Amino acid sequence: MKKLAPILIAFFFFSCSSKEEITQQQYSVEGMALYKTHCENCHQADGAGLRDLYPSIQQTKLSPEALACLFKNGKKGNGFMPANAKLQALDIAELVTYMREKWGGKKQIYPVDSVKMALQNCR
Amino acid sequence: MLLKNTVLSLLFAVVAFSCSQEKKLPFLGPKTVNATGDTVYHQIPDFQFLNQDSVLVSQKDIEGKVYVADFFFTTCPTICPKMKTQMLRIYERYKERDEVRIISHSIDPDFDNTSVLHDYATRLQVKAPKWNLLTGDKAAIYKLGQKSYMVSAQEDPNEAGGFVHSGAFILVDKNRHVRGIYDGTVETEVNHLLEDMEVLLKE
Repeated sequence: MKKLAPILIAFFFFSCSSKEEITQQQYSVEGMALYKTHCENCHQADGAGLRDLYPSIQQTKLSPEALACLFKNGKKGNGFMPANAKLQALDIAELVTYMREKWGGKKQIYPVDSVKMALQNCR
Repeated sequence: MLLKNTVLSLLFAVVAFSCSQEKKLPFLGPKTVNATGDTVYHQIPDFQFLNQDSVLVSQKDIEGKVYVADFFFTTCPTICPKMKTQMLRIYERYKERDEVRIISHSIDPDFDNTSVLHDYATRLQVKAPKWNLLTGDKAAIYKLGQKSYMVSAQEDPNEAGGFVHSGAFILVDKNRHVRGIYDGTVETEVNHLLEDMEVLLKE
């Protein structure tokens, strides 16, 4: 029984982290599909943008909160970006999760709750 | 036996000739027959619009040129960026060849005035007269699109961005006849356009 304990602990540990990993992957895959639909036309599949017309998003310095607001509300004036009011908090969470994994090298879910909070505080 | 041989060699000749024949492009659009019995092909009528440099552009500026036309608007969130990516291929390929031109008609002239178009062209890094971005009377633009270039272009509040328009690239020969229509959002379609462009340039 004593020998079994660490195995059990290890088992739980792995199953927990892999569950999180699976959710992260789900977010990322959904996010990729959303990116294709809503972002890729302008910012291109590799995120490099198109000349000076559409900016590259590979090195974006925007925080996840700022991204959430940008997706939902767009940007007016110079550097116009259309708003996408139809995006739900989950969509945005998935998009940000995908984008920061692909271009930020960060494999971590951006939670739906954080999106909701960010959207309440958009400037 | 002799007959068979004759037929065979005839057939052979036909095949050989059809192979060596150069590719020809059709004349698209409604045809009419004039008083002397000649076929008159559909032709792009005279037009007059302002470009991104606020210069008046008309059919005279494309006289004797092969050109590609499309319809877009600068705030279009859907297919326009894909079209522009593909149009840039055409632009870059024929940058040094004066007999090739590109005309992009804005279908949102209320917003896309000459200064908006100028900014757009600057950021896309393209220049007139090689690539003219045109704006002007809305009704005239829609009529030109629907009647002459045979593509859809109109306002539609239900559409993302507020307009419905096709992603077509229209290839027009030196005499303003439409010779090909391609999906400007698809790379392989634009490859065909580039091939057909060479055919028209040799005409």
